Amino acid sequence: MLNLIAGHDKKDSTSIDIEKKDYTKSLVNDVKGMKIGLPKEFIGEGINEEVKNAILDAAEKYRSLGAEVEQCSLDIGKEALATYYIIACAEASSNLGRFDGIRYGYRSENYDNLKDIYKNSRSEGFGAEVKRRIILGTYVLSSGYYDAYYKKAQKVRTVIINEYNKLFEKYDLILTPTSPTVAFKIGEKSSNPLEMYLADICTVPVNIAGLPGMSIPYSVDKNGMPIGIQLVAKHFEEEKIFRAAYTMEQNIKFREKYKPEFKK
Amino acid sequence: MSREDYEVVIGLEVHCELSTKTKIFCSCSTEFGGEPNSHCCPVCMAMPGTLPVLNEKVVEYAVKAGLATNCSIEKNSKNDRKNYFYPDNPKSYQISQFDKPLCYEGYVTIEDEEGNEKKIRIERIHIEEDAGKLNHDDYGRGSFVDLNRAGVPLIEVVSKPDLRSSYEVEAYMKKLKSIFEYIEVSDCKMQEGSLRADVNVSIRKKGAEKLGTRTEMKNMNSFKSIVRAIEYEIDRQIEVVEDGGEVIQETLRWDDISGRTFSMRDKEDAQDYRYFPEPDLVAIKLSEEYIENIRKSLPELPESRKKRYIDDIGLSLKAANFVTSSKYYSLMFDKSSEISGNPKAVSNWLMSDIARILNEKELEPDKIPFTAENLAELVVLIDKGTISNSIGKKVLEELFENPKEPSKIIEEKGWVQISDEGAIKEVVLKVLENNSQSVADYKAGKDKALGFLVGQAMKETKGKANPQLLNKLFIEELKK
Repeated sequence: MLNLIAGHDKKDSTSIDIEKKDYTKSLVNDVKGMKIGLPKEFIGEGINEEVKNAILDAAEKYRSLGAEVEQCSLDIGKEALATYYIIACAEASSNLGRFDGIRYGYRSENYDNLKDIYKNSRSEGFGAEVKRRIILGTYVLSSGYYDAYYKKAQKVRTVIINEYNKLFEKYDLILTPTSPTVAFKIGEKSSNPLEMYLADICTVPVNIAGLPGMSIPYSVDKNGMPIGIQLVAKHFEEEKIFRAAYTMEQNIKFREKYKPEFKK
Repeated sequence: MSREDYEVVIGLEVHCELSTKTKIFCSCSTEFGGEPNSHCCPVCMAMPGTLPVLNEKVVEYAVKAGLATNCSIEKNSKNDRKNYFYPDNPKSYQISQFDKPLCYEGYVTIEDEEGNEKKIRIERIHIEEDAGKLNHDDYGRGSFVDLNRAGVPLIEVVSKPDLRSSYEVEAYMKKLKSIFEYIEVSDCKMQEGSLRADVNVSIRKKGAEKLGTRTEMKNMNSFKSIVRAIEYEIDRQIEVVEDGGEVIQETLRWDDISGRTFSMRDKEDAQDYRYFPEPDLVAIKLSEEYIENIRKSLPELPESRKKRYIDDIGLSLKAANFVTSSKYYSLMFDKSSEISGNPKAVSNWLMSDIARILNEKELEPDKIPFTAENLAELVVLIDKGTISNSIGKKVLEELFENPKEPSKIIEEKGWVQISDEGAIKEVVLKVLENNSQSVADYKAGKDKALGFLVGQAMKETKGKANPQLLNKLFIEELKK
């Protein structure tokens, strides 16, 4: 799939025109000589104990397979989360403006005039989280607040990218959990958006920095809930991720070991 | 206090549609007209999932416009989103430019009412997309959205508040129009909406430094209505101030029919456009080489042509100004002058009769139906004495109605000048015989009588008699 979507798309100005690669060639069961960084902030406070142990275990596994794994520091989680929710909400508030119930999408049946079509289609069609993001996004772009939020977020974003790049001078890959906890039940935390946002703290920094990352099912907790490890590489170095992920997959045989049990 | 006690300060935002073949962010045609919604695609209709791709020609045209108006060019520019919700704006944001316009700090030179040269500074020129159009149904069934114009590229030229009268505003806009026509970035047709202006007007007591509160006027679609709207607004503001009131900052809509402005919105409900960099596009980076190549490709601009016409050809300032006021005049002038070898006659025809007829027919100079060769031939026919000047005017009228070679016109109409002395003498004798009173008057010293007699002879020959010859023969006969 990546082989198909990789490369420049002339209808997407933000795609970069670089030579295409055959990523299947990276599916090699060998990590000898690879250098992997393990940021201490991602196995510290706020990370579930079982998740943390799984990561340390995975690190040990990579060592035993011939990679060098070293603890390092990447203290950007909170900033990345804040940055992400400012930028993502700002874009969402602008992007979703076109859903007015006229040309496409949901249209309320309850209206007498044009303004009501807009109002009711949006009120009924958008869910709570979407509305929250539209309101947040509109706020951070408002005149008088733009500099303090959106502009600052863009600056922090650059700092985050630089922090990552500093690590990539030393390491081929960065290993973190995919999520600070195992999966919770649907609806369990929806009433608390902040807690929901915190669940993204390991993956959001990767998105904000525009880096390639992959989540690999590693083990399960005491209740049989899966725990994932995340590998992150420098821009356009997906091959390293494929190589390390494939190696891990071949060596832990997750699928065979942990057959899913569906509880009733 | 009266108007003389106040100084008028005007700044302009001129929107000009670029004449690229395709729209700014997709490959739809920019052609004017067409069935509603026939020149649009998923991108300019803002279907979910579509992305804009910047048309490189738009950047090129805007840089051209900037260089031709003495602007600096931003080498590291970008696009920004201007968010506002309106039915003719399908994405709910307009892709424009906010803090890094492509061109900045330029100027154009105009002539003020006293004929002095005056620089009007340009703050910035940026690129953006046009919105769609709402067609309001006459029968009250609703309004219909036509997205043919959505995504047509525009440049917005923002002037500094350097203009001091409606006269200067008209001169400034005509100058911009003429420059953009010369460099072929826009056809600047006001009636098709490809040249539009928002006018910011304020007044202050003469000598005051602080600017007065300004109002912004929209919806003027001809030079005439711009001038009318400004005059109306100046009077209105002075009246408000004279009555002890305060001008409030608001946006006004000009209504050409009633000849007055209506408030659209005041400062309180001013929109917050929530500008932010367009994340679907990348920065516009221009190299020095790119900019220099465009600079080299610019044709001769009106200012330089004007200088050449005055210094090399010897036209008067007035004539040079007129001829360079439109690219079409200037090109015709160059060619007709070269062929006929009589540039002054060519400029006279352009300035007087051609301009008059265009004005009567409410046509723009680009609609002159005949060629530069035709005009040159007309000049030559007069210079050679084949036709008289007054027949020349008739030929010109005919050129507008039914353009073809002037020599053919005069042949078909039988307008060749009579320069045969024998034939004219016959007419002279006849006129003298029939107007004995005038003859007596002339002999009694009333020189005016000669004019009358010549006029009678012209009438007799339907204007075809060679006037010099006619004069000469009359004087000879009367002396006898």
